Amino acid sequence: MDQAHQRAIAVIAHIDHGKSTLSDRLLQLTGTVGAREMRAQYLDRMDLERERGITIKAAAVRMSYLAADGATYQINLIDTPGHVDFSYEVSRSLAACDGVLLLVDAAQGIEAQTLTNLYLAVDAGLEVIPILNKIDLPAAQPDKYAAEMAALIGCDESDVHRISAKTGEGVPELLEAIVARVPPPTGNPEAPLRALVFDSIYDTYRGVIAYMRVIDGRIRLSDPIRFMATGVEVDADEIGVMAPHLEPVPMLDTGEVGYLIAGIKEVRLAKVGDTVTALGAPASHPLPGYREPKPMVYAGIYPVDGDDFPLLRDALDKLKLNDAALVYEPESSTALGFGFRCGFLGLLHMEIVRERLEREFRLALIATAPSVAYEVELTEGATRVVRNPTEMPDGGSIASVHEPYVSAMIVTPSEYVGTVMQLCQGRRGELDEMHYLSPERVEIRYNMPLAEIIFDFFDQLKSQTKGYASLDYEPVGSKASSLVRVDVLLNQQPVDAFSTIVHRDKAYDYGKTMTERLRKLIPRQLFDVPIQAAIGSRIIARETVKAKRKDVLAKCYGGDVTRKRKLLERQKEGKRRMKQIGSVEVPQTAFIEALRLEADGSKP
Amino acid sequence: MIATAPLFNRSGGWLADPGFGVYVHIPFCLHRCHYCDFNTYEGQDSLFELYVDALVTEIERWAGATRPPTSIFFGGGTPTLLAARDLRRILEAITRRMGLSPGAEVSIECNPETVDEPKFEALLAAGFNRFSIGIQSLMPHVLRGLGRTHSAERALESLAAARRAGVADLNADLIYGSPWERPEDWARSLEGVLGEQPDHVSAYALTVEERTPLHTLVATGRVRDVDPDVQAERHALADECFGKAGYERYEVSNWCLPGRASAHNLLYWSAGDYLGFGAGAHGHLDGRRWWTVKLPREFISAVARGACTEEGAEVLDHEQRGPEALMLGLRLASGIDVGAFNARFGDGCLSDRAGVISDIVGAGLLEQSGSHLRLAPGATMVANEVICRLL
Repeated sequence: MDQAHQRAIAVIAHIDHGKSTLSDRLLQLTGTVGAREMRAQYLDRMDLERERGITIKAAAVRMSYLAADGATYQINLIDTPGHVDFSYEVSRSLAACDGVLLLVDAAQGIEAQTLTNLYLAVDAGLEVIPILNKIDLPAAQPDKYAAEMAALIGCDESDVHRISAKTGEGVPELLEAIVARVPPPTGNPEAPLRALVFDSIYDTYRGVIAYMRVIDGRIRLSDPIRFMATGVEVDADEIGVMAPHLEPVPMLDTGEVGYLIAGIKEVRLAKVGDTVTALGAPASHPLPGYREPKPMVYAGIYPVDGDDFPLLRDALDKLKLNDAALVYEPESSTALGFGFRCGFLGLLHMEIVRERLEREFRLALIATAPSVAYEVELTEGATRVVRNPTEMPDGGSIASVHEPYVSAMIVTPSEYVGTVMQLCQGRRGELDEMHYLSPERVEIRYNMPLAEIIFDFFDQLKSQTKGYASLDYEPVGSKASSLVRVDVLLNQQPVDAFSTIVHRDKAYDYGKTMTERLRKLIPRQLFDVPIQAAIGSRIIARETVKAKRKDVLAKCYGGDVTRKRKLLERQKEGKRRMKQIGSVEVPQTAFIEALRLEADGSKP
Repeated sequence: MIATAPLFNRSGGWLADPGFGVYVHIPFCLHRCHYCDFNTYEGQDSLFELYVDALVTEIERWAGATRPPTSIFFGGGTPTLLAARDLRRILEAITRRMGLSPGAEVSIECNPETVDEPKFEALLAAGFNRFSIGIQSLMPHVLRGLGRTHSAERALESLAAARRAGVADLNADLIYGSPWERPEDWARSLEGVLGEQPDHVSAYALTVEERTPLHTLVATGRVRDVDPDVQAERHALADECFGKAGYERYEVSNWCLPGRASAHNLLYWSAGDYLGFGAGAHGHLDGRRWWTVKLPREFISAVARGACTEEGAEVLDHEQRGPEALMLGLRLASGIDVGAFNARFGDGCLSDRAGVISDIVGAGLLEQSGSHLRLAPGATMVANEVICRLL
């Protein structure tokens, strides 16, 4: 297909604002999916299915559209992941596009996440087509939100498409607008091949399936190719397009979007953002914008049952095949045994990995509180990166500690501005900017330590704004902070799993909360057990688990010695499974419970 | 058959020769108490006669080892819910089948509501010589909370009636540390019971057992859970009051006047042999422990069919018997007689544990005193902590 008749677009939308339904209508109106085959959420369902024994991901769908001008256009609909943790992936998907559909629920207005992605699209110089969806809903306020969108992207309110993806109203006009307003690709067909990888997944049978857009030149079946960032050299065993089913093709031309299968065994060898070039006539420079995935959030992940450690290692190795951003290395904890310190793009990424480990590999896991990577400058001059609080050097040897900061963007109804500002300031946020999207809705930006966000900030934000506020954030470098390590000691012995790095002003709150929590979780021993929180050798909080005074079975009823012995054997078995912290016996469940409470957001 | 045992030692110490016991279970009650998880049933009066017949048959057809018992114990349930003549039939079946050791202790548990002077007289005449009365508390609100349907007066009166009938060996059962009990309530119950000068007192900390009404009440927050610290205090108060009144604590929950320890109780704690008859009864012979079907109806029909009433059993090997005997023996204030223990269970049990034992002795929880190994006085109320390290 010649370049003039190609269009590549992505949909930017908040979850539930109707992206899947709009995709359904586009597939239908373009005849890509026939009436008999059509089901609601068509592309989402494809993700879950397998075709020809290959895992399908509807990362990009090719549609043929016969436009009003009588010409047939090839419209490529490229999927974008919808969360802040994957903003780099979003940026690569957008880099493969010529325009975006900004899809907003006419009853909800634009959300923080959508704004971030919109800004990414605008920065990338993409044509933005604003759309209000669900205009058929009784609660829709299209005029209000059209004004908001027009103000945001600097267009006229009348340029905002008003559609109902559900009924199809306004969608034909939208298709015309895509053809009319989104520019065709501008690559050079005669230049050496440069194809941008914007997604890649791992399939057990075929290896990696890389989704890409040919920016310059063309790629042919069996061409020897090279991934420029990783240096991997392979042959293009299969190239093809999704329309929406996988269709092998002999060639992908300049501007076309398709997939590549080349016997690659791990996604980290065909990373998102990499450039594919031909070995025969290689490009001199890769496409701009490639970045190594950088973990932002770290946590220790441990099997609840220590015997599962090898299973956990195998599971992580398998996940890694399909997740280039996941990093992990073994670590051990006196409280939790053997596990892994894992690095994630963000909290959602952490949740996804953990969920997959638990669901797909049936592992019972416990995670330590998430932390960030601190840069510690030592007085002797060296710099050390601390990803686990226990690695934090002693206060005396530290010259300064830098922690990662993010720019947090919150979109909230204006009545909650005070609440949101209070919350952010309580998390060491510094107001960056604030502007009204409309009289009722405000976009607020704070610079905040990432560490303050990764605990329960999102939950707090949601609960304090009755669910109305939305959050997005992006890294903005690091800053020196007054940070200290708080240790938790059990009968004078530090418990590594509870060490944490917090701002000096919050150390007391953390210490108090953890000692109180542990006092309730640690079973009474035959002696008083002090639970202390300390910064270095300075105790900042203390609780005591009083010695137990009664632990004896009352009687031996009717000569039932068996029952008595079983009760005691169970008690002994419980003892066997306890961790010995110094002279204190602590059931593993106490550590797990304390960490769970922490994860549930009861952190100060 | 072993020759008649010597007159039984009831000093309360661990027994090298614990004798031979028979336990009979009567699984019926007028009313089930809120805390009770024993094998007992209400409203089955129509089964009494069949049950007694079945018990007699079961005893008569017992084909296993026997010796003339040194102790017989009728427990429940409420044994005294049965008529004295029924209880006599059962007791006679036992003595007919296996004889009776001279000086044997023949105990029966009584509920205050089901005994009076004539009944005590009839039971004495039948051969029962030790009576254990379930007093539990002398405070009306505590009795109500526990689900006891008798009054405090009735409880005290049953003790007095036993004495009037000529009962020479009288035990009062008490429960402490229930959620309804204030500190002064326990003191008053102790005082009231001691006023009747029983020979023996068993005082048990209330345990909230699963599948009881009390458990439901606690689990749903309608009744406060028991507080082990409070129970420890109540135990200490009991120990003090009984001590002043001349009673000695010979086991965690049992106190007696000198020479009045319960032989049957000592037999359990000394890992002795006993047969168990009746629904849900437990028996033990030489390392084999067994228990019978729990439902009275099932028990009756099994006996009628000539079928085995045993529901389950376990056989402890040599390696397991020692620790179990240790678990039982350390509950006694005397502890175990090391020489006699080694003679009965082999010296491997203690020598294998020498390291742990010396650690526990070092921690002040066990003490080695002369020939005996026993819990340190301060460790009685945390005995599980010690014992489970030795299992």
